[in-house]
Amino acid sequence: MPAGIKIEDLSFSYSPGRRVLKSVSLEISPGEMFGIIGPSGSGKSTLLLHLNGVLSGETGSVTIGNIPVTRKNLPEVRKLVGLVFQNPDDQLFNPTVEEDVAFGPLNFGLPAPEVRIRVSEALAMMNLSGFENQISHHLSFGERKRVALATVLSMKPEVLAFDEPFSNLDPSMVMQLMEIMASMGSTQVIVSQSVLPLITICNRLAILKDGEIVAVGEPRSLVKDRELMKASGLDLSLYRTICRDL
Amino acid sequence: MRHTFIDRYSHLDSPVHRLDPRMKIIASLAAIIIITTEPFTGRLVNLFLYCAVTLAVTVLCRIPAAYLLKRMLIVSPFILMAALFYPVSVMPANEGSIISGWRPLAEAGLSVFLKASLAVLILILLSTTEKFHRLLMALRRLKVPSIITTISALLYRYIFLLADEMLRTARARESRTPGVLRRGRLKVYGNQVAVIFLRSWERSQVIYNSMLSRGFSGEFPDVQEMKLRRADIVIPLIFIALLLLIKTVV
Repeated sequence: MPAGIKIEDLSFSYSPGRRVLKSVSLEISPGEMFGIIGPSGSGKSTLLLHLNGVLSGETGSVTIGNIPVTRKNLPEVRKLVGLVFQNPDDQLFNPTVEEDVAFGPLNFGLPAPEVRIRVSEALAMMNLSGFENQISHHLSFGERKRVALATVLSMKPEVLAFDEPFSNLDPSMVMQLMEIMASMGSTQVIVSQSVLPLITICNRLAILKDGEIVAVGEPRSLVKDRELMKASGLDLSLYRTICRDL
Repeated sequence: MRHTFIDRYSHLDSPVHRLDPRMKIIASLAAIIIITTEPFTGRLVNLFLYCAVTLAVTVLCRIPAAYLLKRMLIVSPFILMAALFYPVSVMPANEGSIISGWRPLAEAGLSVFLKASLAVLILILLSTTEKFHRLLMALRRLKVPSIITTISALLYRYIFLLADEMLRTARARESRTPGVLRRGRLKVYGNQVAVIFLRSWERSQVIYNSMLSRGFSGEFPDVQEMKLRRADIVIPLIFIALLLLIKTVV
């Protein structure tokens, strides 16, 4: 059973006087696929960084399973939570694919034979077997995106946090990624402005606006609330028109 | 976008390519020390013999000569400057000068040129016959401070991205510049560099977050094993022994 997530009264600011997160509280069940939508600058990515302890809130708490995200628990928390960043070039900082995928497990002190097994498994899951010695910069964007996911899968995290996973992907790659995400048994938190894929794969959606959670609920019923969506800066009328035309 | 990678011929198969990168690094450094510590005058024969040995190794590497020459050409102005100005810098100003007379001065200039060229050629061979990441791995195994290898790894990983970004901003500038950029050229270029710098700064923060989220604690761990074979020791030893023989016997 993967770990669940509990965020209580979390507030954070990058600079004094400008709060990016304001008393955010959320509870995500083990194995749930949870989407967070919101306009640009609403604090979605900042919230995600708190799950892994990269950022820590001024007030409030984050708990993964039974482990509170504190400085003392960071190694344990980072084993539990894998972050997949928006731009794969930010995630692939090693010269070769193998080194990048092995980076996490090696840092967590796993023995080399075990790491090699994990690298093979993670690459196989992403249909990238045989890419071990490839140079990251030589890969296509889609391949880099899959390698970035493999770098996190090799850590076998119980919670996966995705930051804009569908950005810059063509429609077939979006489908492919959605299938991969749906096939994983882990708890997933997906932050995205691509509302349509989230409606399809998530069990629940939250809307974040100006650092505050304004609504949480079942995706389809949430996006049907036109007033709420419009007030949250997520006007979907264009999608509606296109869908009707199609 | 096409980039020229310094290890673009590292996939070739030759006795030098097959050597362990640690031994290649050690042999290269030893060779450079042996060659560059020769006196500036009276040892031209030795330097020509070093050239012969290094060229023999170069042939063994099977790297296209045109590629090597092109790489050497990049540093040749600096070598030429050093070769030309070294004799001038030691020209007899008074009777107590180290070198006097035109012939020894020319010899000194030539030996500076040969030493520097050989050192550069050896370093080019080292970087061309081994994949860059394996060189870094070898440096880590040779206990080179991790700050140096980490910065080198990140630099090599991201320099091409920066080049791409530079090109993209240049295209954006050109697309809004009908004809030649007439006014404030320096200011425009300066702004462009500043934008790239700021983006790099922001990117470095995200990359660091990404490293932290996967347990980074200051050192890049190695996944590949390196095992020394007999040939890895014997071949570099023969190379160094030959150079030492020239240095001591000739």
